[in-house]
Amino acid sequence: MTKKEFRLANEYRYNRSGPVRWIVSHVLRYPLFPLGAILAAILNNWAYSYRQVLIGQAFDLISSAGWQTRALLMVALTLVGWAVVQGVTGLARNFAVEFIAQRIERDARDELYASLLGKSQTFHGRQRIGDIMARATEDVRMLNFMFSPGLMLITDSAMALLVPLVLIARLDWRLLLVPLIFSGLLALTVADYNRRLKPVSIALRDQFGTMNAGLAEAIAGIEVVKANAQEPREWASFARNARLYRDHFVAQGAIQARYLPMLAFTLAWAGGFLHALLLWRAGAISLGHVVAFVGLMGSLRFPTQISIFSFNLVQLGIAGAGRILELINTETELDENEAGVARPIRGEVVFEQVSFRYNGNPVLQEISFVAHPGETVAIVGQTGSGKTTLTRLINRIFDADEGRVLVDGVDVRDWNLESLRQQISTIEQDVFLFSRTLAENIAFGCADADQAAIEQAARQAQAHEFIESFAEGYNTVVGERGVTLSGGQRQRIAIARAFLTNPRILILDDSTSAIDSATEDQIQRAMRRISRERTTFIITHRLSQIRWADRILVLRRGRLVDQGRHEELMARCEDYRRIFARYE
Amino acid sequence: MGFVLDGLETESYDRNYSDRELVRRIVRYFRPYGRQMLVVAVMVTLNSAAGTGGPILIARAIDLVKTDSSTPMLLLLAAGVLLMGAAAWGFNYVQQLFTARVVGNVVLQLRQDVFQATMGHDLSFYDEHPSGKIVSRVTSDTQDFSNVVTLVMDLLSQVLLVVILSIWLLTIHLWLTLLLVGMAPLAAVIALRFRRVARQVTQQARRARATINAQIQESISGIVVAKSFRQEGAIYATFDANNRQAYRVGLRRGLTLNTIFPIMGLASGLGVATLVYAGGLATRGGMVTPGDWYLFMQAVGFFWWPMMSIASFWSQFQDGLSASERVFALMDAEPRVVQTASEPVERLEGHIEFRHVHFAYNRQEVVLPDFSLEIHPGETVALVGHTGAGKSSIARLITRFYEFQGGEILIDGRDIRRLDLAQYRRHIGLVPQEPFLFTGTVRDNIRYGRPEASDEEVYAAAMQISHGEWLADLPNGLDTDVGERGASLSMGQRQLVALARVILKDPAILILDEATSSVDPFTETQIQEGLEALMRGRTAIVIAHRLSTVKHADRTLVLDHGQIIEEGTHDELLARGGLYAGLYNTYFRHQSLEYIESFGRQ
Repeated sequence: MTKKEFRLANEYRYNRSGPVRWIVSHVLRYPLFPLGAILAAILNNWAYSYRQVLIGQAFDLISSAGWQTRALLMVALTLVGWAVVQGVTGLARNFAVEFIAQRIERDARDELYASLLGKSQTFHGRQRIGDIMARATEDVRMLNFMFSPGLMLITDSAMALLVPLVLIARLDWRLLLVPLIFSGLLALTVADYNRRLKPVSIALRDQFGTMNAGLAEAIAGIEVVKANAQEPREWASFARNARLYRDHFVAQGAIQARYLPMLAFTLAWAGGFLHALLLWRAGAISLGHVVAFVGLMGSLRFPTQISIFSFNLVQLGIAGAGRILELINTETELDENEAGVARPIRGEVVFEQVSFRYNGNPVLQEISFVAHPGETVAIVGQTGSGKTTLTRLINRIFDADEGRVLVDGVDVRDWNLESLRQQISTIEQDVFLFSRTLAENIAFGCADADQAAIEQAARQAQAHEFIESFAEGYNTVVGERGVTLSGGQRQRIAIARAFLTNPRILILDDSTSAIDSATEDQIQRAMRRISRERTTFIITHRLSQIRWADRILVLRRGRLVDQGRHEELMARCEDYRRIFARYE
Repeated sequence: MGFVLDGLETESYDRNYSDRELVRRIVRYFRPYGRQMLVVAVMVTLNSAAGTGGPILIARAIDLVKTDSSTPMLLLLAAGVLLMGAAAWGFNYVQQLFTARVVGNVVLQLRQDVFQATMGHDLSFYDEHPSGKIVSRVTSDTQDFSNVVTLVMDLLSQVLLVVILSIWLLTIHLWLTLLLVGMAPLAAVIALRFRRVARQVTQQARRARATINAQIQESISGIVVAKSFRQEGAIYATFDANNRQAYRVGLRRGLTLNTIFPIMGLASGLGVATLVYAGGLATRGGMVTPGDWYLFMQAVGFFWWPMMSIASFWSQFQDGLSASERVFALMDAEPRVVQTASEPVERLEGHIEFRHVHFAYNRQEVVLPDFSLEIHPGETVALVGHTGAGKSSIARLITRFYEFQGGEILIDGRDIRRLDLAQYRRHIGLVPQEPFLFTGTVRDNIRYGRPEASDEEVYAAAMQISHGEWLADLPNGLDTDVGERGASLSMGQRQLVALARVILKDPAILILDEATSSVDPFTETQIQEGLEALMRGRTAIVIAHRLSTVKHADRTLVLDHGQIIEEGTHDELLARGGLYAGLYNTYFRHQSLEYIESFGRQ
């Protein structure tokens, strides 16, 4: 039983031991649809192929002396009947598969989403949203395509091959000779064609991608291209790509032109015709049978052509299912430690010789510092110096590989995870807001907060003023009617939210900068107010915050190169002094 | 061929070509391959003839064997069927082979031409047209065009086959043939009607899907926030509603699209039934033999499918023609920057003069009504002002990215319009606001403006910025791969690479559009130090967003509505208390040391 933080009331249990099994268990949730689809496909192909048998009968009829019009009318009416059966079963087959395809997409997305909700914050702290999105939209759609049209066409082609064979056997079993040989030949030639086409098609597609990417780059950088007078070079590079594309295109054309299955079909058609005529001469079958047989052979043309495309879709679907399952089956490594320390946090954070690696690469090395309760700690360093990772060790999105992280003197691994996290809040650089009202966004997580409390929080966060400037005020729905909030405004909404939830430790990623001084003022005020009375870690580029922080941590390539107050750093840290030296 | 919108947005340079003009342009591209096209035409004809021959032969055979069923006869007939099929396959092979070659070459030529034309446009063109759309014209539209050519070749042989067969059938029985041919429009009508419905649901579904995808994106991005506030139940309810809606929309589209083939199957079945009966009656008179009757039966298949594919490919055909129209329009758009001469530019002092320059992006938007300015060699001039004051326009006129409408711009006393543009631009160093890096290494990117520079020169240029300490922060130094458009480097590092690129170029005139994005203070210091190194000893025009830049400039120009309102050094301007003082309060105050220090007192 896996650990989960969220569970649906009546969850359907799927088999998650492998992509194919998982897909099958999804289909078997609605057993009537696949059953109906297969039955309908058999009937549909029977109706379609039986047309040829009836034509043969009609031929015999009109070839006989003194035939009755009524008899021919009967055949024609039977044809109408089978045409109706063909139409109806065709619809039934397509609809059944469509239902399966759409439901699988819906169910898989639902399953994935529920499982994502069940995963810990640790998982989400590590996962990239773009990656999850790709699986929840693209891979899930692949599952849909895999059934409609993929598996539908495969089922149908199989039936379109089998049913005529059965009908031919019913005419005279000896007639099976040529079509059976043809089936073998077909399998061989199609496999061969596929084998030859695949590498060329992939090369062609890749080359199109290369050409497109190169072109897009040249055009996006056109200012630089022109400023450096490098147009001839870009042209040469594009022409080279376009020429390579042409070469692949011609190579693909040559392979497609030599489509041997069609030649095999021609051979079978002539051979079958001869065989049927010989049987007719021997008196085994009527000329009408010959006619029916030739017609049935003709209907083998369709499955010869369609299957390649559909097998590809099925492969893509299974690959997509694999990726979705991988996400669903990912276990969270951190344990909740329910028996751990659970009590109000005062706010002391201590790092003792902390090192951390990610995928084998050292991200943080031997970090040690002490942050006292209520202090504001500014973390400064280049992109990639380990600033964000450092903060994630505090709320255990990651665990240190070496050394210890202590909160109030207790190793974070000995805290009850729930208790620890409830008292630590993070405001990301890119603040996410729901498409709900601003009031709801501020009160998210504190459903019992009343309007007065919300407004109070917004005032403290310097957000009240701009919220009131919207026509709908606090009832403005984010994202609707062109209401978009700037990064600075989103940030202040998040700060207002933090005023309501009142965490003991706050982690603020503030790497964006305001362009104008007025906005800057407001953001600064909001931040100073929220950082009072709680331990605050700020990842920032703002000199005013660095200048007045109680403690500054200077990170460079995963190492803490220096720490202390502004004055201390000015006195001993050369890199730090250079920053401020420019202002004198 | 009129212009078919087909849901594609048009661009201002799009034009309507007359059918004749369009065909003439297309034919011009095929002309060099006249001989190959002739081969294709012959093969198409032969292919259709052989394709018709098979069924006719079988029909004849069925009548013949009744009178002569000797073994040689049967062998002969079967051999005939085989020969016809094999010949059709062979003709088809040659046809496709040649088509692929010709189409490949034509598309290559088209792409090269359109790329060349695109590169020739000035930047006003790129401002007006999103780069994604230009890219899609050069690659995707040419692709659509080639698909259509291939499609037409295939359809042509199918149609020709129907025509040959119809003529043959007409010689057998007039009314029966008319009955058969009458089915073709029926198939077309069904297909066309269906296409309309299908388009409607597809468009609805696409719109709905876009909304739903956005909602799902929000639900997924929201998971993290929801979890930290324990709101999983609430957010799941939202997701569930979105997901169900997506299911309903998708299902409606899927079910609608899935009706066509069963309906077509039903219709063709009814057609066969009619012909079985009518044809049977015709055999009574002896005018039609049972073999001929069977030929009519086979013909139904031949008639039905080409009509359907023409109907369903009609939109593709139209799309392809409009694609070619779009490609030609892109080629024919006229460049606005025109050089009247190409005088060589060997070296530059860096003297710049604007004399009563009038400049407008378009008729409504005059940016510089009457602008005059002189910049001396080696001088650093900072431009400040609100958005739209004309700062970038001045910089971009010097790079000759835009055409101006009145007055003149003199570089070292020479008319900018008479210079060899490629040579002139070698003396200009541009640092754009968003640093742009090309796929490759840091070294490749520094070398971009001077491909012939040696490794030592590249290294020396990089060392000029903060003594090269920034290289130590790159995992492989100069050989670090920058990723797609520099994605593997931080924003600050990209700016440093762009600076080194210009340092290596050693230009006489530097144009700098300062970045507004925020960078960590260490990298920011390196960038500032690099900029100072770069500006030393050359003419520099800076669109300033950094207070320190303005302070370091020899002269600051305060612009408003395309005019210089104030002019002087930072201190002089601030003391004056005019427009600059206002700009300072809006944009620069929070960058000052006083501001930083003031926070301690709060």
